[in-house]
Amino acid sequence: MELSAVDLTKRYGSKTAVNRLNATLTNGVYGLLGANGAGKTTFMRLLCTVQRPTSGKIVLDGKSIWKLGERYRDVLGYLPQHFGYYPDFTALDFLLYVAALKGLDNRKAKKVSSELLEEVGLSGESRCKIKTFSGGMKQRLGIAQAMLNDPYILILDEPTAGLDPKERVRFRNLISAFSKDRIVILSTHIVSDIEFIAERIMMMKAGEIIHFGRPHEITSRISGCVWECSVPTSRAEQYTVSLNISNLRNEENGRTVLRVIADQPPVAGAVKVQPNLEDLFLYYFKEEEQ
Amino acid sequence: MKQLIRLELRKIFSKRLTQLDLAMVLLLSAFLAFSTYQNKYASDGAGNEGTGRTAVEIDKAVAARYSGILTDEKVQQMISEIVPKSGENGLNAIYIYRNTIQSAVSARFSDIYGNWNGLRVSDVFGNETIKIGYVDGWLSTSQNLVKILTIFSFFIIMMIAPVFCGEYSGVDNIILSTRYGRTKCAMAKVIAGVLAALITSIVVLAVNLLMAFAFYGSEGLDCSILFAQLTYIEGSIPFNITCGTLLAYQAILAVTGALGVTGITLIFSAACKNQMIAFVVSAAVYGLPLFFPAAETSALFRLAVLLPAYHAQFVSLMSVGQMSGIFLYAVWAVPAALTFIVAGSIFSRKVFAKHQVS
Repeated sequence: MELSAVDLTKRYGSKTAVNRLNATLTNGVYGLLGANGAGKTTFMRLLCTVQRPTSGKIVLDGKSIWKLGERYRDVLGYLPQHFGYYPDFTALDFLLYVAALKGLDNRKAKKVSSELLEEVGLSGESRCKIKTFSGGMKQRLGIAQAMLNDPYILILDEPTAGLDPKERVRFRNLISAFSKDRIVILSTHIVSDIEFIAERIMMMKAGEIIHFGRPHEITSRISGCVWECSVPTSRAEQYTVSLNISNLRNEENGRTVLRVIADQPPVAGAVKVQPNLEDLFLYYFKEEEQ
Repeated sequence: MKQLIRLELRKIFSKRLTQLDLAMVLLLSAFLAFSTYQNKYASDGAGNEGTGRTAVEIDKAVAARYSGILTDEKVQQMISEIVPKSGENGLNAIYIYRNTIQSAVSARFSDIYGNWNGLRVSDVFGNETIKIGYVDGWLSTSQNLVKILTIFSFFIIMMIAPVFCGEYSGVDNIILSTRYGRTKCAMAKVIAGVLAALITSIVVLAVNLLMAFAFYGSEGLDCSILFAQLTYIEGSIPFNITCGTLLAYQAILAVTGALGVTGITLIFSAACKNQMIAFVVSAAVYGLPLFFPAAETSALFRLAVLLPAYHAQFVSLMSVGQMSGIFLYAVWAVPAALTFIVAGSIFSRKVFAKHQVS
C-alpha cells in the first residue's frame, strides 16, 4: 500500500498550517520532526480524516481517503496528541467502546483489548476507572486503543509524552515489533525515540516538509556543522548565550565540553563530530524554539 | 451496533451529574407526594375531621356515600347533607371547603348561600353520564406530576446535552478516525439518547404512580374528572374522561414530551461546542414557548401546544377542541414528538459526520 499527500494544504483563516505538502509513504516507520507550530499535528489530523484539507488530497493506492471513508478508517489507528476520555469508564470499557467503533465483534474486542492491556502494562488496572490513572497510564491506554484494529496505517502524535524511560523502551519495542509491513508515522519532541525506531525522517517547518529521508541521509546534510570543544567551565555560560549548543558536559578538570552547531569552528581547537538528529533539529529550529 | 448503544447508554448513566439529578427528581417526587398527602384536610360535617391519612379516609367515606352516576336526586341529597351554609362563617358557600365531594357539588350546584342554585345535572353536564367518587388522590397526583415532569424535562436536557458536544473536548479525535465514528456512532448516540429519555421517563412515572397507589389506592380511577373539586384545573378539561384516562394521557404526554425535548437537545448538543451552551440553548428553546401569549382559540395555539413544553403542562393540550372519533387532540403529541426526534436525529448525525476537530 502507498499513502500519498498531494499538494496538501490546510489553512485556518489567514494562517497556513500545512502548505502544499507532498509526500509518499510506503511500509516503514516514519518519524515526524518539527518545532511547535510546524504543522505536524495538522498533517496527522488530515491523514486521519479528522480534519478536511483546504486543498490538495491524500490518496491510498490512488484513491482519495475521503472517498474510501469507512474502508480507509478500517485500516487506520490514531493516537492524538491530546485526547479526551470518559472518567467513569474503566480501561477495558474504553477499549471495548473504541473496538465497537472500529467494528470489532464483541468476542474479538474482549480478546484483543485484554492482549493490548497486557502489552502496554495495564492488565492489572483493566477494571480501574480512567479518572484514577496517571498521565502515563492514560497515554498507554491511548496507544492500546490505536492498535485495537491491528491497523495497517498507525499514526501516533507524541506517543511517548508522559512515559517514563522504562515505558518508552517498552513502547519502542512494541512499535518495532508491530511495524513490519505497515506504515507507522510518529511525531515526538523526544528525538532519541525517533532515532531508535524510525527508518525515515520527515522534517517539517512552516507547514512544509523540508527534509525527507533516512536518518543518516538527512543528518549528513549538516555534516561539518557540528563541533565539540573544551572550554573553561567558568566561561561555559557565556558561550551558551552566543553559540548554538546542543549539549554541555562538565568534566572534573574544571573544563566543560560543548557540542556546538555552527557553520564555522566556534572556538580555536574545536573538532568536527558526526551529527545526530538532535543536532539536525537544533540546526533548523533553534531560532523558533527561542 | 448493540454494543455501541450499550456503551453509549453507560456513558450517559455513568455521569455523576446524571445520577445526582435523577436522584433529585425522584426525591422531589417523594417529597411532593408525601407533603401533598400529609396536607390533605377533610371534615365530614358530622364532627369528624383530620389531615393526612385521616383526611383521605374521611374523603373516601363521604365519596362512598354518593358514588355512582351523578343524578339530580344525589345533587339534592348532597346539598342538604354536606354543603355548608354561608351563614356559618359569612363566606361564599362555593369557596368553603370541607371535603372533596362537598367542594365539587358546591362549585356547580349551590349559590353563594349554600342553597341549590336551580341547575340540574343536564344543565351543567349536558347528556354526559358523570360517574362520581373519590378522585382527589389521583387528581392531586396528576397535579404533582405536572411540576415533576416540568423539572424532569430540564433533567433530560442536562442528561442529553453532552451526548455529542461532550465528545468535542478531545475524544472526537479518536472517534472520528474510527471506521464507524462518522456513521454508526452518531446513530448509536441518538438511539442511546432516546432510550435514556424513555427509561428515565418510565422510572419517574412509575415511582410517582406507585406512590400515589400506596397513598390513595385505586379508588376514583374510573370516575369522571368533571366532578372534581374547584381547585383542580384538570376539572376544566372539557371532556368527560375518567381519572384513569387522564393519567394515561398524562403518561403518554410525559413520554412524548421527553422524546420531544430529547430531539431538541440532540440538535444543540451536536451544534454547540460546549455542554453548558448546549444546555442553556436547549432549555431556552424548550421553555420559551410557555411565555408566548396565544389565544386558545387561535390556530397558532393548536400548533404551539404540540411543542414539548406543553406536553408536561398537559392541561392546555388536553383542552384543545376534540378531534373526530374517540381520541382527543392530544394524540397529535405523538407524531409531534416523533417529528422532533427525527429532526434531531437527522440534524445531529449530519453535523457530527461533518465535524472537524479543532
